[in-house]
Amino acid sequence: MFQTVSIIALLATLIGIAAHWVMTSTGPRQGIVVGGVHVFSLLLIEQKSSLLGALKKLVYLLAIVCFVVLAITGFWPTLVRGEHISGYLLMIHATFAPIFALCLAILAVTWAGSNRFTAEECPWIQRLLRQVTRLRVAAETRPWRCSLVVYKAAFWLVIFLALPLILSILVSMFHLLGTEWQHFVLAVHRWTSLVFAIVVIVHTYLAMRLRMAGAV
Amino acid sequence: MRRELILTFVLLLTVFLAPAVGEEAAEGPGKLLGDESDGSRAHPTHVLPLFPENEDGEKGEQITPDADLVLPFSTKYTCGECHTYDVIKQGWHFNAVDSNAVPGRLGQPWIYFDGKLGIQIPLSYRAWPGTYQPADFGMTEFRFTQVFGRHMPGGGPGEVTATDVDDIGRQFVAGKLEINCLTCHNGHHGQDQGGVNGYAIHVSVRQNFRWAATASCEFAQVKGSASAMTDTYDPYMPMGDEQEPTVIYQPEAFNADGEVLLDIRREVPNQRCYYCHSNVYHTEGHGESEKWSTDEDVHLKSGLTCVDCHRNGMKHDIIRGYSQESRVSDNPLAATSSCEGCHVPEGSGVPEAARLGAPVPQHLGLPVVHFEKLTCTACHSGPWPSEQAVYSKTSRAHRLGTPNVNKAEKALPHVLSPVFALEAGTVVDDPNEPALHSGKIAPHKAVWPAFWATLAEDKVTPVALDVVEKALKKVFEELESPADGSWTPIPTEKIGEALNVLAEAVEEKVAYVAGGTLYRLDEDGAMVEEADHPAAAAYMWPLAHNVRPAAQSLGIRYCTDCHATDGPFFFGKVAVDSPVVSDTPRTVEQVAFQDIGRFGAWAFAASFVFRPWFKIVAIGSAALIGIVLLLYGLKALGAVARVLAEQNQ
Repeated sequence: MFQTVSIIALLATLIGIAAHWVMTSTGPRQGIVVGGVHVFSLLLIEQKSSLLGALKKLVYLLAIVCFVVLAITGFWPTLVRGEHISGYLLMIHATFAPIFALCLAILAVTWAGSNRFTAEECPWIQRLLRQVTRLRVAAETRPWRCSLVVYKAAFWLVIFLALPLILSILVSMFHLLGTEWQHFVLAVHRWTSLVFAIVVIVHTYLAMRLRMAGAV
Repeated sequence: MRRELILTFVLLLTVFLAPAVGEEAAEGPGKLLGDESDGSRAHPTHVLPLFPENEDGEKGEQITPDADLVLPFSTKYTCGECHTYDVIKQGWHFNAVDSNAVPGRLGQPWIYFDGKLGIQIPLSYRAWPGTYQPADFGMTEFRFTQVFGRHMPGGGPGEVTATDVDDIGRQFVAGKLEINCLTCHNGHHGQDQGGVNGYAIHVSVRQNFRWAATASCEFAQVKGSASAMTDTYDPYMPMGDEQEPTVIYQPEAFNADGEVLLDIRREVPNQRCYYCHSNVYHTEGHGESEKWSTDEDVHLKSGLTCVDCHRNGMKHDIIRGYSQESRVSDNPLAATSSCEGCHVPEGSGVPEAARLGAPVPQHLGLPVVHFEKLTCTACHSGPWPSEQAVYSKTSRAHRLGTPNVNKAEKALPHVLSPVFALEAGTVVDDPNEPALHSGKIAPHKAVWPAFWATLAEDKVTPVALDVVEKALKKVFEELESPADGSWTPIPTEKIGEALNVLAEAVEEKVAYVAGGTLYRLDEDGAMVEEADHPAAAAYMWPLAHNVRPAAQSLGIRYCTDCHATDGPFFFGKVAVDSPVVSDTPRTVEQVAFQDIGRFGAWAFAASFVFRPWFKIVAIGSAALIGIVLLLYGLKALGAVARVLAEQNQ
């Protein structure tokens, strides 16, 4: 079931992103390679060019590389061969995993501030408060920046999902869980990693789009 | 006239119909008294008349100890009065010669060896790949029974009617080796399988097949030897020669009706199983091979008996206990009598766990991938793996429990264990799928075959033993045999000489298989060595006993019990056993038998050095992420609270 659901979910995500890109794309169209390099480089542009900014960018780049390696080594045996990860793939996966965990922790600390939600980004909460509590809440005056909210939500979801993703494997490495619970935490790791991968893909796409629009 | 005609007609009708009716009555299915249990768990008392087989091969007159001709009792006609003999002989212990019997998982072969001739060949009537049919080796059923019947419960090849000219006469004298029910089911401490006057001696030394069951029991003695009699000797017309086989029953064993009390146990005592199924592992320090210094299987020490797991009904289709057995066995308990069946059953809705008090294992901290890669026995059975696989002995290979056994560590045949190898699978009776590969690594016993063969288009067939003996005895007679019963070292040049002599004798292309290598002659008559030839590969069969306690299982200390760069599980050595003299003894690493790349296994083992660092980094990262989530979560909560508070003002 995991194999089927994963393939469908990942394909749906990629198709959705492609459709969104086509439907909402603005500005002159570029070639795929040039456009791809341009878009990717947007990710690396930091308004504040300082040592900290460079480090943050490096950590982000490292996180992306680790994510790609972990996704390939983790999903390939399961989705393509229908078997558990083992052998060389497991070794590579286990090598990049702690590096990715560390990068996520650093990104969580350095990016959390800039990804806080503000009042104008939550108009539906204001609406809810007005309707439910009869409190006098000022009506929203600015248009809702959907992409930015989703981008920030994706960030927090990535950080949130990182916990079960890391802890599920960590707990299994101690003499704590028997076979039944080992199966359970392995399932938690697999399903969490699927959702995590989808959210990372969405977050990365939105990051590129928002940078192109100058919103972040 | 009319009345006479009617009477004649009725008479004729009766004459013609009576045999048909009588035949129908004789063909009635009818289970015998002891074929089906009434449910009582009490042991029935076996006070029985004894019956022999008479000269016509039928049931004879009841045996009395003071008869003129005192014959040995026949289990077929004594036990067979209540238990259908033909049903029992279909059981696993007796059906090796039955071509319809599905071979199942590879098992221990019978190993014929001759250290002087450089022979150590695994034989089996079952179609297990890697073993050879005794007939291909020139062994008739009669000869096979004489050599190996010492550790057989009778039946099987022992009951096959001889067709070889040399055997027909001998079989008339020696008789057939019937199933000896007492081998397993006699609870009396006087049952003698391996003593100086016991079953094994009567079968293998004296050729007293007909008398063997009687000789083994506690209330009779057999003197004399069929092997000393000529082919014209008639056991039903004894001549009074003191060498001819004679039975002496203890008169006090017979009651007033001429019946004998037999201490028959439905649940076979462990001691009976041990006679044929004992193992010795020559681990470090010879003393550890002694019974007093090693522990028995944990199941036995926990109160179980062999037959608590290895069960069968009247069909004697005994459970062997491996996980794929239900695919080939009709025994209804096959699926639930493997390791998983008792300890971790999947169940069918009704709870089935903890049968026979089996603890349900927790396997704390063990990644589930191990259950896909390893059998239960890989971690729990056999001796703890050491740097090198050790010499092992088994009852059947080394005739343990019989007189004058060579107790030296390196006495032939050389059986090495544990060898952690990929299980070859279970052989099923399906030409489209001859073997079910379990795909798991399991501990095995291994024997490197050594034998002289003919070579025809890469097909290697053993040369008959008598041909080899006749042709090569003189070639090797000057070689000295060691006192420890190990190989007589054969120099390589002697192999070439022997091949040439054998080639002349059989007038075919010949080869010698030993130590993983096939030696043959090229077109010019020079010897050629083909290393790692498939025909010379070690024959291996999975071992399951002795099961060690959970606290002695592999991995109980840490992952590095196996995953270490010098760990014996992957990198232990298995000697390539060969009689051929070599400057450097060859060894093979365990990983070579596991279908795993050596470097991959080494690299994975090496990565365990970083496992603690992995945990530290992961814990620290998770803690940091958790703190960030908590901090900003509380901030968000505070913001909402402030909004609500400001609105209230």
